[in-house]
This record gives sequence, C-alpha cells and structure tokens, in this order.
Amino acid sequence: MICAGIDAGSRTIKIVLMTAETQEVIAKGLADQGVEQDKLTQELFQKLLKKNDIDRKDVARIVATGYGRNAVSFADTTITEITCHAVGVHQLVKNAMTIIDIGGEDSKLIRLDKTGRVRDFAMNDRCAAGTGRFLEVVARRLGVDIGSLGELAAKSRSPAPISSMCVVFAETEIIGLLASGVAREDIIAGVQAAIAARITALAGRNTDTPIVFTGGVALVRGMDAALQSALGQTVTVSPDPQMTGALGAAILASNQITHY
Amino acid sequence: MTDMPQQITLQEWDHRYEQLQRTGLRQPSYGGLLSRHIEDGDTRLSKLRYDNSAAALRLWNFLLTEEDRLHKARAEGKKLVGTMKDLGTIPVMAYSFDNLTAFYPDGAWWIPCVMELNTSLLSIADKLGIDESFCPVRAMLGAFLTGAHFPIPDLLVCSVGATCDDFSAIAQRLNGLGYPISWWEIPHRRTPEPDEPMVMLPGGFSAPKCQIEFVESELQRLQTAIEDLAGQRLNDKKLSEGIKKANLVRSLLGELRQLTFTAPLCPMPALEMLIAEMLAIHFCSDRNETIIVLQDLLEEVKSRVRAGAGFLSPDAARIFWVNPVADLQVMNLLEDCGGRICGTEFLFTHALDIIPQNLPPLEALAQMALADPMVGSSIDRASRICADISTFGAEALLISRIPGASHCALEGQVISEIVRDKLNIPVVEIEVPPLTDSIRPTLRTRLEALVEIVKKRREK
Repeated sequence: MICAGIDAGSRTIKIVLMTAETQEVIAKGLADQGVEQDKLTQELFQKLLKKNDIDRKDVARIVATGYGRNAVSFADTTITEITCHAVGVHQLVKNAMTIIDIGGEDSKLIRLDKTGRVRDFAMNDRCAAGTGRFLEVVARRLGVDIGSLGELAAKSRSPAPISSMCVVFAETEIIGLLASGVAREDIIAGVQAAIAARITALAGRNTDTPIVFTGGVALVRGMDAALQSALGQTVTVSPDPQMTGALGAAILASNQITHY
Repeated sequence: MTDMPQQITLQEWDHRYEQLQRTGLRQPSYGGLLSRHIEDGDTRLSKLRYDNSAAALRLWNFLLTEEDRLHKARAEGKKLVGTMKDLGTIPVMAYSFDNLTAFYPDGAWWIPCVMELNTSLLSIADKLGIDESFCPVRAMLGAFLTGAHFPIPDLLVCSVGATCDDFSAIAQRLNGLGYPISWWEIPHRRTPEPDEPMVMLPGGFSAPKCQIEFVESELQRLQTAIEDLAGQRLNDKKLSEGIKKANLVRSLLGELRQLTFTAPLCPMPALEMLIAEMLAIHFCSDRNETIIVLQDLLEEVKSRVRAGAGFLSPDAARIFWVNPVADLQVMNLLEDCGGRICGTEFLFTHALDIIPQNLPPLEALAQMALADPMVGSSIDRASRICADISTFGAEALLISRIPGASHCALEGQVISEIVRDKLNIPVVEIEVPPLTDSIRPTLRTRLEALVEIVKKRREK
C-alpha cells in the first residue's frame, strides 16, 4: 500500500509518496502553486504516479497539509503544517527540539519535546519581513535571480543595515542604499539578517537546541548563518528542507492506515 | 427545530423564535427577533452562530438594546455616568444610587467590529490624529462626536496612572474636545516592602496598605462628584447594598463559569459566555435585569449539565482564552476547529471576584480596584492566569491580541513564557482584527494546530 503527503504551500506544492508499511519514500515532486490550487495539485499528483508507474487505486490514504490543504479535494484528511513539519523533521533529525520553517508567505517557530511532539509554536503570517517574500522582492529590485542570492550574499563584507520592519518600506530603503553605492552583496546579506531578526522575535527568550531549519528559504545559501548569528545558536538545515511538510503528511497518512 | 442544545445562524433563529413563541416564550420589553438588530447596522451578527436557548435569546437582546436603554434612562430623568477605563469599580458605586445609570463608553470599540467597519467612528478618530496605531477604543471619540450611539453622559470619570498610555491619550483627546472628565488615579500595584503593612486582595494579589488608602481617598473624591450629580448622599448602607447586588451578579457568573468550563460536555458556547462575562463590567446599563438574564442562563446551563446535554465533541480540546476578540466570529471558529473554552481572562477577571462585604464599603471597592490584573505587573497577571488554568483544567492557552492595543503587544510574551514554564502546556498567540475574513485560513491553521497539539499530548 502507498500513502501520500501533499503540502499545498502558498508558493509551491510538494508531494511525497511512501510505502505505508515501511514508510520508505518512493517518490517526491514539486510544482509552482497558482490560482487553481486543486487542479495544480491533481496534475502534480498524477504526474508523479505516472512517472513512478503507480496506479491511483494503490494509494490508500492521502493527507493534505499547508496553506491550501482544504483546497485539495482528493485528500482523505487534512492536518496542519505545524504538525506535519514536526513529524517530517523528527523523522530526519531525531533530536530536533526547535524547527524554524520559513516559507514563501509565512514563517514559523515550532517547539518540540524530546519525543518529537509539538510543544507549541509561534507563527508570522501578517508581515512579509520574516518570509521568503522579502527575498523575492529584493531579487527583483536588484535584478538578480532568486537562486543566486545566497551566492551573492556569501561575498558580502559588510552587510547593510535594513532598519524597516515592513517589506514595502525596506524596498524604499534598498533603493536608497543602491543610490548611495552600497554593494548588492551587502544589501542581500542585510536583508537576510533582517529576516533572521524577525524570526528571533518569534523565538522569544528561550530556544532549545538542536535547531533545524526547513522551508524553501532554507535552500538560500547564507540564511542559516544569518539565523545562527541572530539567535546566537547553531542552526542546521534539514535534509531536503522544502519537503519536510509533505514528508510529515505522508508519515501521518501511513500511521493512520496502520492504526485503523 | 430541536430543543437540544445547538448552535444556529441568525436566519435559523427566526424559525426558532417562532417555535419558542408557540410554546409560550415569555419575553422582556427588549425582546424580539434577533435578526432585527441587523437593521441597526450590526451586520456581523449575520455571520455568527448562536446558542438556541431562550436564555441566550434574552442575553443577546439585552446586549443589543443597551443604547435604547440609555436613551430611555435619560428620557426618564436619570443621570448618566460614563465610567471610562474602569472595569467594574465605579459602576458598583453608581448603581447604588436609584437615579443614576452608569455605562462604559470604552465599549464603543466593538461598534466598528459588529458593524463590519461600516461606520465613521474610526475615520473620525483618524481625523483627530488618533490613528490605527492606537487602541481600537479610539472609536469612542467618534461615538462622542456623532452622538449616534449613546447619549452624552452627565458625568465622565476615568482612571489614570497604571492604565494604558494609548487609552490615556484617547481620553485626554476627548477631554480636549470639550467633554470634561473627572480623573481618578489608580497607582501601579506594587509588592509591599518587607516592613510595610500589606493587604491581601480579592483574587490573590497583595498591595501595600498605603495604596489601598490612597485609592480609597480617590474613590471618596469621586463619590462626592457622583453624589453632587445624583443630588443625594451615598451612605455606607446604600453602598453596601450596591456591593451586595454586584456580588450577586459576580456569584452568578462564577457559578456559570465553573459549570460551563468544567462540564464533561460543553453546555454553553464560547460566544455566549463572552457576552455573559461582559455584563460584569457595568451590568449592560441595567443591574437588576443583568441578574435576571444571568439567572436564566445559569438555569439553562444547569439543566443541560443535569441532562448531560451540550455542544461539541466530548474530546474537544480544553482551551483557556486570554483577551477579548475584536471579531466575535473567532469564538465560533475555535469550536469549528475542535476546541472549547475552559477558562477565560478577558481583562476584567477582578470584576468576577466577590467584593469583600466585611469591610467598610469604600475600602472594599478600593481593594477591588487594585485587584485589577491590568494595574499590576504582567507577571501578576500571568500568575492569576496560571491559577485559573489549573482551576478549570485547561489543556492549552490561547492569547488573542487586539491590533493597536498596547497591553496585548507587551504582555503576550510575558504571559506565554510564564505559563509555559509553570504549567508546561502549549501556548499560542493569535491576532484578531475587527474583520478576520481575509485571514481566516491562517487563523484556522493556528487553532487547528493547537487542537492537534492538545490531542497528541493526551496520547501516552
């Protein structure tokens, strides 16, 4: 039997297929999110099944998570991304105590207990300054590809201070910095530090270690270092950080089959 | 339509109303169809789900006719006292006079919320320089200037000192607009020095005796102003009688909370409990009717508990809720997500505590004023929340912030950390603006996640 975890995020859709019995990952897929969330998810799902020669009827259970989870009409059930990320990360990093998840439109700090259960969480989804959206705005403004941001930031010698708490104002600030001749590398590193500062505010005064970093933004080189610097603690990027939510959803789907 | 406890829409209430009428529903003068209040512009009401009991109908009608009651009181020659930044002290004094009606102009912050922002109250405040960076209580300025909601009080009293800075700014702006205010000072409640005489306050806090004496002298000054307005003196006997009536309201609420928050099946929804608790502040402008409304509601809850009837699943996550919400719909949302309220702290817990009746009455009121969780440190407030969470057996804490309200921004983190450390239960913060429609998915995620966490913790 096969089960599926679907993370219908605000920017991308991620799917993990796994065997229900052994929880072995069979296939993973990723596609851009859009207006027709259900259709796009269905397309990715079908594509993944076809590519791996899996019949739809062999998929016994589907759990959807993420911002668009309720739009996935063919899911058997939904579970929040908080729970799914925790399960996914715990599978990959058994001793993780804190998860920082920075996605396209929100960021979360999830506290775990020693067994991997969620203790509680803090979430920012009303301010783009602590999310991947900030990096997109900067990439556009600087005329660089978002994929190259990390590489450029690594060349920074003196990260530019970004003082605005709001992305719109920060963009104005960036224009000013460019006008005054600040290097692109330093601006990007400054933006990374600003995002990290927002996450620190979510963390409060106590952050248990190990801290594991997930979400699409974890793929941007230098973001882990910026978080480390802001938190004053070691931050480890999760293996396959974009897929942890979908992985957790697939594991939970498998558990549901096993338990019922 | 069934008589079993149910949450129903405003439209469904119309049918339910007819059904209740056919079975002999007795109604007060302010009774009638709930849906008629939409005509007043309270459009948010059409998006809520309500308890289907006659007691809940009476509660809602009582709440939604307060403005009429105030206008009627004025027409009958009663004097009106606006008690600002005071959650449950001066109204006890004012209602000890038979020719006064006290109300809470700050409550105007809810008007734009229930009217789905289709009112000019906030834009009037904007034009006065009190913009959205201030507490939503700024809507009160618009209510005073338009006179469209409550009659302008004959006397305005307002506490200052250990109160929110943004509220003080709003009240001072009001004063500057030509609405004179009798200010009284409430000091920041501090821990007594080791060699200083101290007093244990209702609710469990303590304060130096000199602070009680100071607040008592402030209340004495206010009493004189209120006596001048009423044209009669207030002796200890009358004030004690007023305290006794206020305590009746508080004990009814105490029993209602205890039964509702601890019953195996939730017997009364979160929304109605929020409204019921609000009656403690100033009795919704009619103390005697408040008592009847609460007696009805308590009777309904008792009969449901006896019958083992209620709402929601028996395994609903037991949530303790801190701070009132700007959008009432969020109380429904928690229940949709699998949670139920088991304990609340809507900023006026002290107004639910019994006022000491074995003390000189003014001293007793001074103690109550200083027992306000908001006039002490956030650590004190968190301690009270911890104690109440334990009393009601809540499994998680939800802190709801009101955008612009400074105490929410500053206190949330302190409360979270203390509750987490002391009780080891999950704590989640949400922000609830007046209209949550556009952020419903993210609010739902937070609430569902909290419920998931609670249920997972139950597994051994």
